[in-house]
Amino acid sequence: MKDEVKIILDICDKILLKNVDHHLRLNLEPNSTQFKTLKNEIISSELTKLLVKEDLGGAGMTLTDIIPIIQLSAQYGTPIPFIETIISNFLLSELNIKAENDFITLTNKTENILIKKDKISGNFKSIPYLNLAEKILVETEIKNQKYIILFKKGGKLTLQKNFLSEPKFDLDASELEIISMIEKPEQMDVQNLLINVRSIQSFGAMEKILKLCIEYCSQRKQFGRTLSKFQMIQNHISEIALEVAASGASLSTLKNNNKNFYNLKSTAIPKIRTGIASGKVIALSHQVHGAMGFTKEYELSYFTKALNSWRNEFGNEIYWQNILGKLFLNQNKNFWEFLNN
Amino acid sequence: MTYFDFPHIEEDDNLKNLRNDVKSFLKTTFNSNNIKPQADAWMYSANPEFSKKLGEKGWLGMSFPKKYGGHEKTMLERYVITEELLVAGAPVAAHWIADRQSGSQIIRYGTEEQKKEIIPKISSGECFFAIGMSEPDSGSDLASVKTFAKKTADGWELTGRKIWSTGAHLSHYMIVLARTEKLDEKNRHSGLSQFLVNLKLPGVEINPIEDMTHQKHFNETVFNNVKLNKDALLGEEGMGWQQVVGELALERSGPERFLSHYILLDNFISEFRYKMSEMGITSLGKIISELQTLRMMSFSIAWMIQEKKSPDVQAAFVKEAGNVFEKKLIETIREMSNLIPFEEWSSSLKSLFQDATLRIPANSLRGGTSEIMRGIISKQLGLR
Repeated sequence: MKDEVKIILDICDKILLKNVDHHLRLNLEPNSTQFKTLKNEIISSELTKLLVKEDLGGAGMTLTDIIPIIQLSAQYGTPIPFIETIISNFLLSELNIKAENDFITLTNKTENILIKKDKISGNFKSIPYLNLAEKILVETEIKNQKYIILFKKGGKLTLQKNFLSEPKFDLDASELEIISMIEKPEQMDVQNLLINVRSIQSFGAMEKILKLCIEYCSQRKQFGRTLSKFQMIQNHISEIALEVAASGASLSTLKNNNKNFYNLKSTAIPKIRTGIASGKVIALSHQVHGAMGFTKEYELSYFTKALNSWRNEFGNEIYWQNILGKLFLNQNKNFWEFLNN
Repeated sequence: MTYFDFPHIEEDDNLKNLRNDVKSFLKTTFNSNNIKPQADAWMYSANPEFSKKLGEKGWLGMSFPKKYGGHEKTMLERYVITEELLVAGAPVAAHWIADRQSGSQIIRYGTEEQKKEIIPKISSGECFFAIGMSEPDSGSDLASVKTFAKKTADGWELTGRKIWSTGAHLSHYMIVLARTEKLDEKNRHSGLSQFLVNLKLPGVEINPIEDMTHQKHFNETVFNNVKLNKDALLGEEGMGWQQVVGELALERSGPERFLSHYILLDNFISEFRYKMSEMGITSLGKIISELQTLRMMSFSIAWMIQEKKSPDVQAAFVKEAGNVFEKKLIETIREMSNLIPFEEWSSSLKSLFQDATLRIPANSLRGGTSEIMRGIISKQLGLR
């Protein structure tokens, strides 16, 4: 790990340790002091500009560099659009647009988009943390041309009914003010980028779940012994550890260079592997925790709900297995050749 | 908070070129020597002539020092060659254990004489080894071995029996884990030592054991008061446990833990490529993701070994996850066959499938059972 990444990781760790707890997750209000303090510390320490080019006032780090930071944020169960803002600012920076000093959230699920002068109207779906962000970045298609558009929040927000830990909103917008609008370069695959962020977050959340399992089993006693001494429990936890380890290793496809975040094969491999792992980790960790894990007060469920949410976004692992299988079949290569290229 | 790190290691152009060199060599050698690819070849397919040819190419003893006949190449280069041999189903069983773990143990713990005597022969593909760990009453519980080496005026006298010693009947040596002190129940891992035992010595008896596939690749090896010279001791007296743990990392982390039956998968895909259902294609995508992940883990461990780290627990991950993958692979191939009855598969594919089906139970037993791997992981997590 580069020294500069270690420094940033340390700064990030201190801020999240001080400000993020389960109380914040359960009582997340835009006007709460806890949220405002956290937001202020993140924005003022410029953590949302890690991927912004240096000549645009950012830290000039790469997507590969910030994998541990996305991972850390997920380990803390950070219930704010922190990573969404980092990614939005990255996309803006790639388009040579200055970063914003506020929380931004983003989506690529749009319908009925209409641009009139400097105003945007339309329906926007599944926007994470829209209640906590001031601006929205969207990827959308207008007359066979894809655009990246940044606009100010407004219109009607509808909270989606789902099993997620993080709030997601649909937005019906009418003539909201566009801040920037630019044609999307061909190579910029926003969906694959967002999927990869989710794969990294899933890995981080699974690491946290493993930690919770170890702590819980090492404290709770039944039949006169701590749970961790039961071989069956050890078996469950070692299987969780196996899945966590494999998930982390699957992210290796992204660690070579930034372009891999857009590449289909590099995206599909961790998307599938972390999706498979998530299913096993959710089931086993709840089994290990017994009824305690099923309560709202205990933090396990926050992370298992997050995993359930993320593994179902952008197509589940079955959908992606099919894409990856076809990617191989459509290339005129033997199997080993495909794996090695 | 990262529990088990598998650092990302990139396969550079040098390694890619090496892959191509190995492929070309295998194609030519298979053709000119009429070699038939086999599944699980590192266990079942021994061909000393082929091993010698690999030695001539400089592809055995790759990481060993040149002064002992090695090639001072990296563990990553060795990894690439190992993968290519496995996916080709090459007959590598004769030299496999010597090249994978015994040679490294000798380099690490051996005396100058032991290195000079044995390493050049391993590197030239002319010296084969068997593993001397398990015993009739010591399977997973390795610390309970009873084979005893008694100190004598001239060296040692070895008595006991080892079991499941794959390839012992073809091998020149065995590294034997033996007690050199009586068992101390409070400190079971102490009082063990490793010995380099020449299998041609008087008193060594090798009895084949037929496995459920009717093959005789493993054996019971009996030591009837075998006289060993002083220099048969490998490493330090009493440090056998510490030494054997490192050896197991080499044994467990390699790509043979998930590529043993690759040749079946490859043949299946070739035959069914244009007959796959959507479900089959979907299963194939899962295989790609899981297999690539395992390869990244194993490749990363090769780098850790090269960097003199101790990836014992990571090796347990690869072993266990690799075994689970290969067991599932057989079932998945059945599901992917798109309702085409087994009887209608080509005879070569049927043969590979039957071999794999019969041999697969051994995967999660040899090199340490799944239960042992999970125990290692639990221990590392502080659960026991």
